[in-house]
Formats: sequence, structure tokens, C-alpha cells
Amino acid sequence: MKTINFAIDLGTTNSLIAKYDDGTIKIYNNPIGLKQTLPSCIAFRGNRTVIGDKALDYLEKDAENICMLFKRKMGTQDTYYVPSIDKEMSPIELSSLILKELKNFVNDEEVLNSVVITIPASFDTIQSNATKKAGYMAGFKEVVLLQEPIAACLAFANTSNTEVNEKQNWIVYDFGGGTFDVALVEVNDRELKVTDNLGDNYLGGADFDNLIVEKLIVPFIEEKLSLTNLWKDLKSKTTNFNGLYFELLKIAEEAKKELSHYEDTEVELDIDINTENFYESFTIKREAFEELIRPKVEQTITFIQDVIKNNQLLKTQIERVILIGGSTYVPLIKKRISEAIGVEVNSSIDPTSAVALGAAYYAGSKPATVSDDEITKEKVVEDSVDFKLFYEQNTRDLEELITAKVNSKEVGSYRIMRRDGGYDSGVKILDDGSFSEFVPLLEGRLNQFKIQLLNSELDVLKTIETVAINQGSYNVQGQPLPNDICMEIDDLDASTTRLEKVFAKGSILPLKKKIYKTASKTILQQSQSNLIINIIEGNSRGLPSSGLSIGYIEIFGKDLEEDLIKGTDIEIELEVTESRDLKINVFLQACDQEFKNVFSESERAISVNKINMEINTVLGDVEALIREHNSEENFEYSQQLETIRVGLIETQIAASLITDDDVSDAKFQLDDKKRKLIQDFDDLTRNKVIAKEIEEYNESKESLEYQLSYEKNEHFRDKYSRIIKNEREVINSGNKYLIRAKIKELDELYYAIIKSSDENFISYFLNLKFCTDFSNQRRADKLFKEGEKALDKQDYKSLRHIVYGLTALLPDHEKEKQKNFKDDSRTGLS
Amino acid sequence: MTEIINQVFALDLKMKKDNNDSLNRYVDRIYHEFEAMGFQIVNPIGQAYRNEMTDVEANIIGDLSRKSKITKVLKPVIYQVENNETRLLQKGIVIVE
Repeated sequence: MKTINFAIDLGTTNSLIAKYDDGTIKIYNNPIGLKQTLPSCIAFRGNRTVIGDKALDYLEKDAENICMLFKRKMGTQDTYYVPSIDKEMSPIELSSLILKELKNFVNDEEVLNSVVITIPASFDTIQSNATKKAGYMAGFKEVVLLQEPIAACLAFANTSNTEVNEKQNWIVYDFGGGTFDVALVEVNDRELKVTDNLGDNYLGGADFDNLIVEKLIVPFIEEKLSLTNLWKDLKSKTTNFNGLYFELLKIAEEAKKELSHYEDTEVELDIDINTENFYESFTIKREAFEELIRPKVEQTITFIQDVIKNNQLLKTQIERVILIGGSTYVPLIKKRISEAIGVEVNSSIDPTSAVALGAAYYAGSKPATVSDDEITKEKVVEDSVDFKLFYEQNTRDLEELITAKVNSKEVGSYRIMRRDGGYDSGVKILDDGSFSEFVPLLEGRLNQFKIQLLNSELDVLKTIETVAINQGSYNVQGQPLPNDICMEIDDLDASTTRLEKVFAKGSILPLKKKIYKTASKTILQQSQSNLIINIIEGNSRGLPSSGLSIGYIEIFGKDLEEDLIKGTDIEIELEVTESRDLKINVFLQACDQEFKNVFSESERAISVNKINMEINTVLGDVEALIREHNSEENFEYSQQLETIRVGLIETQIAASLITDDDVSDAKFQLDDKKRKLIQDFDDLTRNKVIAKEIEEYNESKESLEYQLSYEKNEHFRDKYSRIIKNEREVINSGNKYLIRAKIKELDELYYAIIKSSDENFISYFLNLKFCTDFSNQRRADKLFKEGEKALDKQDYKSLRHIVYGLTALLPDHEKEKQKNFKDDSRTGLS
Repeated sequence: MTEIINQVFALDLKMKKDNNDSLNRYVDRIYHEFEAMGFQIVNPIGQAYRNEMTDVEANIIGDLSRKSKITKVLKPVIYQVENNETRLLQKGIVIVE
């Protein structure tokens, strides 16, 4: 059986849409903006129609073209004349526009044919039929009405699992932002029925905010500044205090919310009055606030008492009071009702969404009677809409033009929305079958848009989802960077230095970025130790010494005003101007000291020391590789390496003959030569290194998968899927550091699984038997013996500790390597 | 998290108002951390206001026209970037004149 499932709370000031889905209720969020609620307000701006929050913008300026509170006129002959479109709009037409907008909240793949719409308990037959008509006008094929207090009771009953076996009387107390309603509902084991209702259309929570401003904030300001008449001035159109009035209302609203939770709240005023700044704060106690709103609250209590009295009931015959509407968060309300009626007051359901929630429960139980035939018909229309779109896909501007030509007689309007919720054009009329619209873009992001094409009744005929504009990445004008610009940093895990990309190849100049690093070594004021900021132009995946150093700063202990302590923050700001000047600004937080340098390509800073150091590092690697390949009789390859080795040594000798203050260009020639040699070495070895890393990655993955196949804990499996999610990306990156990081993640998970169960240590123990390089063989033998015993006894807990003991006896290669990563070969940045 | 961002933003505004730039570095660093966590914070001060901007809640003083500008930002616009998808997390609260 297909059920209706969708429900709409079509409210006087706000509306919501919800869906019943297999026992749970989803209340949809407005895709533009963040709220679940849509203000029931429409602005007509000539060729543009704005529905919801943004329609309120025009309230002051263009009130005659704004339609709101039309629910109060449902079922009457009254219409709203809208000058900007020269048309009479009926409350039914206006309500249908709100319903259509709510349909937009639902994902496009859902089809909405049937819906439950809520109405106030006070609606008569004509008003109810008018609501139904609005539903049909909005494109629904089936509309079922439900009274709001009933929906609230359903929300309460379904969320609290209340069972009612005999007849009971409940009261639904609905105190919203602008209206107040109270309903008496009769509940028994079969049905819910509204027996009576009363209300005031001009009493709401907004009155509380105004009272806080008028009676508390304004007198405080007046006293401090010796002003009079401020309250009147705030609300007057002729004074300049309009903005201040809004600001104070916001402050009051915040204070009201705070006072629902705390006994007092601090109101901080930082405002400008008559061009003077006023900065003061004061405390509002809950007591004072409650005194202020008490008369309004008492008014609502009288309504409850009246409704009970009118129905010849006694207070004791009321079983419970259910609170809905945003204003019921105020504790005084709950307290006063309890005192006055003496029954359980329930505020367990969310007061804003309760009606939509209850209506959705109802929709989930109500069979839908319309078939799906209509849907196919609509699809045909959608496919027949022909259109062409024009726009820049990449831009550096913060605004771009989207132009379209639509070849369809049915399409009359369009609407553009940015998917992140930051922009909505509103519904606009096509001009001669086309439109051109400037859309704002979010900086540095891929801005995705959704474009709707609508007919004259504002039904969506076609939705275009493919429009995306990339802000900031590319531009036809402007110079792109020919190479990555990187910074050399320490790679403590691998005991070497590596490049970290700062600006990617192809980025458009000028560029500026701040990088935050920590000091990887301590530099004492008296020490010879130094901090190296080396900015390199070249492939970020290559060795640091293979790139061109375009900016180099050494900060020595003697330059420091205080010791630089390992682990403290270093802030580095890099800027490459359009004329390719490089500005480096280093700030050492611990020393509160700043170093500024500007480099331009024509005056490269090169240190002979640095050349020497780099050659030494690479030489070691080259020689090790030559030995390895000689032993594998791979002579052709080792011959290529040998050429590089000789070149490096020659460069080193030449470098030793010049001094740092040499003014000739010898230094630069040597640096060039060094770079070329190291690049050759890089090219020769990179693929091999990557292949090796990938091999290791696969090995780690295989062992982990083997372990996972025996593992019952789902948590590990989830973690595994998360790690390998972007596997392809990482492998194809050709970046050994990324692959290395992945291997580390896999290995960590592997060890976590092993450690989660003592039994996993069996295979570990057996594997250790093949090791020969224990630092203390006698102790290892003893542990093996104990291990065998533990195995026999199936005492895996002890076995685990024995494995730990044995592992500690194995040499730590990593530690050794780290020891060799000497202080003077480091940059000091990590 | 939005509350923390709002407080830092308020602190930043207060310092700028008092012409106090001695702590800028630290505030910038905090903003940087927010960005690293996937928050994009936008201060629309001085921008021309268009009704189509659904990322701000505008309190409009006087008549809304093409010349209307955002003259005060009480809360910044906050977007959240997750898996390369951007979504609005908090609307800015602004005064438009």
C-alpha cells in the first residue's frame, strides 16, 4: 500500500515540509538558507518574484508589493492588488506559491503527488476548501487536510509512546512568533477530535523582544547618555535610528533565549548613537524579564481557562497540556500553566516543528489514492525543453554572467540558485526567450548552480544541474607559474628533508600565503645551529636539491633575541609578486621576532655551504645505489649513476675553492651544475622509488586484508574502507610521501587489529623465530622457551608480553637512521 | 563551532575598532586554523547588497536600492567545505544602508 508520506504545515508566518519514511520523520531544510522554516511571505518585484526570507527585505521599502499573513484571509473574497505586476492575487494563489516553494525543499528525485496540509482548528468549510484548492493549484493531485492541534497531539503521542485507553481531554497551547491559539482536544483509544478553540492573532513572542528593548535596554541607554524619547525615535521613520532599532531587537532576542536557560544574562551594547560610540554592559535577571512579560502570559492563561469553562469542564478533567510554538521556550509559560491548571505540562516535542512532525505521522498512515500515471506525462514535457547555456567555467572575478536561450513556448520564467545556499535569483521572467544574470561567486571554490525553468504558473519544467564555475584557479589573463614553488622542510620520519608545495604550477600571480610550522630543533642564542628557510622553484615531488633555490634565509643563534625552542610556532609568509619578486616574512612566535627578506630573480642568494651539504647528502645515496646495482650485476645502470657521482664530486671540489663572498658568477654556475646532476639522479631513481613504495603499499594491504578476513569487529572494516577510499588518487599521484603516509595508515590499522586480541600474537611469535639479529641472543632464547610453554598452555596473554620482550631486543633501524640525521643537515622546520 | 568563530570575529572587530593591531597575527592564525578545519569565513562589509544574496540576513535601513551597501556586520557568513562540497553553515547578520 502506498501512503501519502508528505506533510506541510502551512503557517500564518512560517511554513514547513516533512516526510514520513519507514517510522522516522524527516523535516526538510530550505536548500537556500539553513532553516527548516520558510516565512510565508512573497515579494513581487515586477519581473521577479521572491518567496520566503528574502521577501522580507522589501517590507520597509515596498510594502504594497509584499504579500504576507494571507492565511488570515483564506476563504474570503479579499484579494491583494499587487501594483508591480498590476494583478489581483487571491490568498489561494499566494498560498499555492508557498506550497510550490516548499516542494523545492525536497530532493528532485522524489515525486510529490499527494500531501497532508495542516489548517487551524478554527477554519470553517470554505476556508478548508480554499486550502485544498491552493494545494491542487500547487500541482498536488491529492490533498488531505489535518487540524493543527491534532497534528501536535499526534507528534506528542508518537514520540512519547503514550497509550490512551479511555476518553481524555488535552489542551494544545500554541504560542508562536505572532499568533496565539489554544485548542481543546478529545482523545480516546480510536480518535482525536478538536472540541473547541480560542486565540489571538496579534499576540506573539515578538512582543517579548520589543518589551526588552522598550523597558530595559532603552532606559539604560537613556540614563547613561542623558537622552529622552529614544524609544519613540527608534521606531520613527524620520530619524536615523532605524538600524539601531534592529540591532537592539537582535540583542533582545539573544537575551530572551539566554534567559530561557540561565537565571541571568549579560547584555553587551557596542553601538553608535549620534556618531558617538557607546560601549556598556548590564545584566538582566530572569525575574525582571518575567515581570515584564507577565501580563502577556496571563492573557494566554485566561484563554485556557475560558476554553475549559466554555466546555463545562473542570481543571481536573484536563489530562495534559502540550506546548508548541517558538515562544513556549520561555520557562515562565510552563510554570504559570502548571500553577493555573494544575496538570502535567509537556514540552518534550520541538515546538517549531511539532505540527509538521505530527502531520507527517498522519501522512505515513494514510493511503495515497492517486496513481503514478501523471508523472510520466510530466517527464515528457521536461525532455522537450530545449535550451542553450553560456558561461565562463573558470574565472578570477567574484561575479560571472550566465546567459541562456530557451526554445520552448511553455517556459516563461527561470530561477538560479547556488548549491551552497549563498545565492538565489528568485523567480524571474524570461526576456524574449532568454536571460542574462550576473551571479556572485564564493572565493577560491568550485561554485555549483542549479537552474530551474518554469512555466507561467511557476511549475518547474526543467532543472539544470550541470553548471559549475571555478573561482580563482585559472584565468586567461595574468601570468601562470611555470613550476611549483616549494619550501624545504624536515621529514623526521624518513630522516631527510623534503619539499612541501606552497604554490602549485599554473597558479596565477600574484600569490600570497601564510604557512604555519613548528621548530624541529632548539636553537640557543650562543649556538652555531641555524634555521633554514629555503624556497625552491621546481617539481614538488623531487629532491629539495634538484630545484632552483629562489629565496634562502639562514637564521643563526646569534640573530635571535631569545632561544628558539623546539616545538614552538614559526609563521612564514610568502608572497610572489606579478614581477616575480619573492617576499619572505618569518615570524618566530617564541622570540616575538620578525625577519623580512625580499628576493628578486636577478640577485639569487646562494650559499656555498648549502651546495656542499646537498651534494654530500645525495652522494651518499648515489654510492649506496651503485654498490647495490653492482652486486646485482646491473652494470649499465650503475654506470649511469657513476657519471652522476663523478660530476657531483667535481662540483664539490670546485665549490671548495671559492668563498661565500665571491662576487663572480662561479657560485651560480656551480649551483646550476649541481641542480642538473641531482635532477638527473632524481629522474633516474624516481620511478624505481615509486614502484618500490607501491609494492610496499600492496604488501601492507595484503597482510591487512588477510587479518581482516578473520576479524569480526565491523569497526576495523569501516576504518579500512575509509583508508583505501582514495587509493587510486594516491597511487597515481606519483608522490612518494603521500604513498608513504598511506602505508603508515594501513600499518597502524594492522597493528591495532593485532593488539585487539591476544591470540593474534601467535603468528607474530612464530615469525620472530626466523630473526637472527637479536641484541642479546641468550635472553632471546630464554624468551622463546617461555613462549613455547605459554603456547602449550594456550596462555596468549603471557605470549603477548613475550613478543613485546623479543621485539625490544631487535635493532631499531629507524632510530639509527634518525640519529644520523644530524642537526646541521636539517632546516629546523617540520 | 560557529559560536567560537563568532566570538573570534567579534574580538577581531573590537580590536579593529580600537585600532589595536598588536594581536592581528594571533587572530589571523586562528582564522587560518578555522580554514584548515574546512570553514570559510566571509566578512561582507562594504559590499553592495543585493536581495539575491541568501547568505546574509539583512536589516535594511531606509529604502533598498542599487546603492545599498552592507555597513555593519554583526555576524559573519560561514561556509563549511566537506569533501569538496561547500554549504552554508551560518548566515551573516548585517545592516544595510
